[in-house]
Amino acid sequence: MELQQFSYDNRMTRNFAIATIVWGVVGLLAGLLISLQIFIPGLNFGLDFTTFGRTRPVHTNAVIFAFIGNAIFTAIYYSLQRLLKTRMYSDLLSKIHFWGWQSIIVAAAVTLLAGFTTGKEYAELEWPIDIAITIVWVIFGWNMFGTILQRRTSHIYVSIWFYIATWVTVAVLHIVNSMAIPVSFLKSYTLYAGVQDALVQWWYGHNAVAFFLTTPFLGMMYYFVPKISGRPVYSYKLSIVHFWSLIFLYIWAGPHHLLYSSLPDWLQALGTTFSVMLLAPSWGGMINGLLTLRGAWDKVRRDPILKMFVVGITAYGMSTFEGPLLSFKTVNAISHFTDWTIGHVHIGALGWNGLLTFGMIYWLIPRLYNTKLYSTKLANVHFWIATLAIVFYAVPLYIGGITQALMWKQFTPDGFLMYPNFLETVAQLIPMYMIRAFGGFLYVVGFLILVFNVVKTIQAGSFVAEEEAQAPALETLPNEKTQSESGHRFLERKPIRFLILATIAILIGGIIEVIPTYLIKSNIPTITSVKPYTPLELQGRDIYVKEGCYTCHSQMIRPFRSETERYGEYSKAGESVYDHPFQFGSKRTGPDLAREGVKTGKIYKPNSWHYNHFINPQKMNEASIMPGYPWLAVKEIDIQSTPGKIRAMKVLGVPYPDNYELEAIEDLKAQADSIAKDLLTAGIQTDSNREIIALIAYIQRLGVDISTKSTNK
Amino acid sequence: MHTNDNDKLKEPNEVHDEIDEVTKIKYFGGDHEYDGIKELDNPLPPWLKYLFYVTIIISISYLILLFVFKDESIIQVKEYRKEVMAARDKTEVAVKEEAVKMAAAPMTQEQILAAGKIIYDKTCLVCHGKFGEGLVGPNFTDEYWIHGGKPEDLLKVINEGVLEKGMISYKSQLNKTQINNVIEYILSLQGTNPPNQKAPQGVKN
Repeated sequence: MELQQFSYDNRMTRNFAIATIVWGVVGLLAGLLISLQIFIPGLNFGLDFTTFGRTRPVHTNAVIFAFIGNAIFTAIYYSLQRLLKTRMYSDLLSKIHFWGWQSIIVAAAVTLLAGFTTGKEYAELEWPIDIAITIVWVIFGWNMFGTILQRRTSHIYVSIWFYIATWVTVAVLHIVNSMAIPVSFLKSYTLYAGVQDALVQWWYGHNAVAFFLTTPFLGMMYYFVPKISGRPVYSYKLSIVHFWSLIFLYIWAGPHHLLYSSLPDWLQALGTTFSVMLLAPSWGGMINGLLTLRGAWDKVRRDPILKMFVVGITAYGMSTFEGPLLSFKTVNAISHFTDWTIGHVHIGALGWNGLLTFGMIYWLIPRLYNTKLYSTKLANVHFWIATLAIVFYAVPLYIGGITQALMWKQFTPDGFLMYPNFLETVAQLIPMYMIRAFGGFLYVVGFLILVFNVVKTIQAGSFVAEEEAQAPALETLPNEKTQSESGHRFLERKPIRFLILATIAILIGGIIEVIPTYLIKSNIPTITSVKPYTPLELQGRDIYVKEGCYTCHSQMIRPFRSETERYGEYSKAGESVYDHPFQFGSKRTGPDLAREGVKTGKIYKPNSWHYNHFINPQKMNEASIMPGYPWLAVKEIDIQSTPGKIRAMKVLGVPYPDNYELEAIEDLKAQADSIAKDLLTAGIQTDSNREIIALIAYIQRLGVDISTKSTNK
Repeated sequence: MHTNDNDKLKEPNEVHDEIDEVTKIKYFGGDHEYDGIKELDNPLPPWLKYLFYVTIIISISYLILLFVFKDESIIQVKEYRKEVMAARDKTEVAVKEEAVKMAAAPMTQEQILAAGKIIYDKTCLVCHGKFGEGLVGPNFTDEYWIHGGKPEDLLKVINEGVLEKGMISYKSQLNKTQINNVIEYILSLQGTNPPNQKAPQGVKN
């Protein structure tokens, strides 16, 4: 058969690899900064754009979508061409994909620091950027499927199955979760409210972990592990079983982020059970990766790159064991809202995503530059530092998380909370936070060693932009399944059919979980005393979201005696029906705020307390680790945006009276004046048009509706 | 170091054996390969398969418990009520025992003040200042009181709160002994004259 001559495009692989490294530095440094800010309030610098509520989303978005995102594209652009024996479908699409993605990252960093956020974790970006992401993602998919369709191999390899599942699922997740009504150019309200928003958000959030941090990396593992070790994949059959079971089961597991919340019991049960069932499919990936190295362990001992893969895959096994464990309600009752979750996530992020990415870069860069790695010894040093860093990072968070949860739950024999002051439980964590920051510092140091090694390697080599290759043209295969081939084997040469089946597999769970909350009323029982926010409270709520208060404070009191004693009545589904977006939160670095405004409640504070506390929390309690928000007393409320916001809320079904947008500004000013007047009686002089007034109004509204009359209908 | 040692795998036309030399396992699909990568025809590890079955059985049982039997230990509101009831019974016993113990061995004034200070630092300091000098809440060290400076006045304020001014009720957060101790401690602050005192409020005692 005649061999066709062509060349692989290394330019895009190289570009994505460099972008991975550059954003890696940014994302890891942001992580180091916030790990210090969390116990040294002074490091927030008293400025809005350097304060934790804004820097934390920058860290998460930078490492997930910039660092890991670019690593995924690096792997795909390199392996896809070689696995399919063809060049990428279109150089132009590759270019648009690359520059489009980098522009999105820059736009994300700038807008997040400036306080433009939807307030939904890992989906904080505002609507114009969401649209840009959709376009770039479609271009990426177009380029990928174009490449698959012009392949010179009859079948598609398991890595590509994972790439296909990644592409379609991320597209579905992103589009559904980002649905919103724009209010202005960089402000929108999500389509969903309260419990429904929480459900959609964590369906998205959990599956961002599944289909952005897991499936593409499994694809990466299936290419690089056999490639680097020179060993065959352990089991083709295992690949098939764990691929399909993984993508089908994963999508159901989101509700495990909302255990003991006001989400209906049946949804929580699905979250728990599907997480438990995920254990074996996840481990299938780990086993297929590790056992591929059978017969190559002597090589693993010598080669830091393979060592990175081995520890990375093991970290994957550990965190996918821990995941189902944390999904048991009894365990989750302890772990949720604490640093345990942060520790768990970072085993996956630093171990699985980080080490696999490092290994890939060390292997790829010398090949792209036709040279040898500058220093294998330094790569080895990096391996050990990174591994040590993970231990220093995670262990204190496990200890701290469990300690804090137990302190929250501790009662005296005569029935009072042993630690009624939340701050006492925080004080316990400070040493743990210090050790964690040291772990993070080590990880950064390791990464800087990589940067040095890569720069030196690039300097020594010469870039091979076009890598010559040859392969026979693809012979036409019968359109029907032949007798000798299995059903799955047939599917592997029908990529479009493969895509359709994968799409069906990932849609089922989401549809069954999300749709009933709209159709069946009993899922979210109405509470008649729950009313829409006043215009001032709505503006205050937007400030709450903008300043990222949800990154440290929950608004979800779980039905535990230890929580109802500390905070008040547990949260009900009907309470948050006007909350676009929901603000349940996922971490309690500070106390829960769901009942903060209840005057007869357990944690009420007067307006003057809030005013002083926002400006300088340490003045109220010197052990507090909350950053100050002095600018809130300076910045003015964007009063003119009020009618537009009320109108958008009405479109979303919030029952404001007819034409209320016309009276809204007047009502806002009246309420603001009354708060300013109250502050004056406590000796605080402030203009009533300041942001702090709106935020106080919102805080004092929290939990009030249900305390007046809690009639469930 | 590892630049060239795998390059032989890239040769598509090389004739491969059907059996992997190292593990003696058959390759899947004969000599087909992807960019030099071959796959072995191993079955699923049995233990993994059984683990999968076990998790499925556990999960289905759990769902049946909830959906069919409506088991109370899974329905969280019922779980909560049970927890609260159980705690109520237990604390009643503990409170009685504590009262007996207290009557047998009353605390010295020193012990009372020390215990009161602990409560104060946890609970009162946020609004009344580290030394009772007053912050958002009034000054405890001067002779002026808004709601009266007698122990029974303080007891009333702590138990019921002064809601319109932001003083919440601590009845459910502190037990009787703790409240008595903290009152003793607050009254002991009279005349200590700490720095940064809040201006007098209320009437002179």
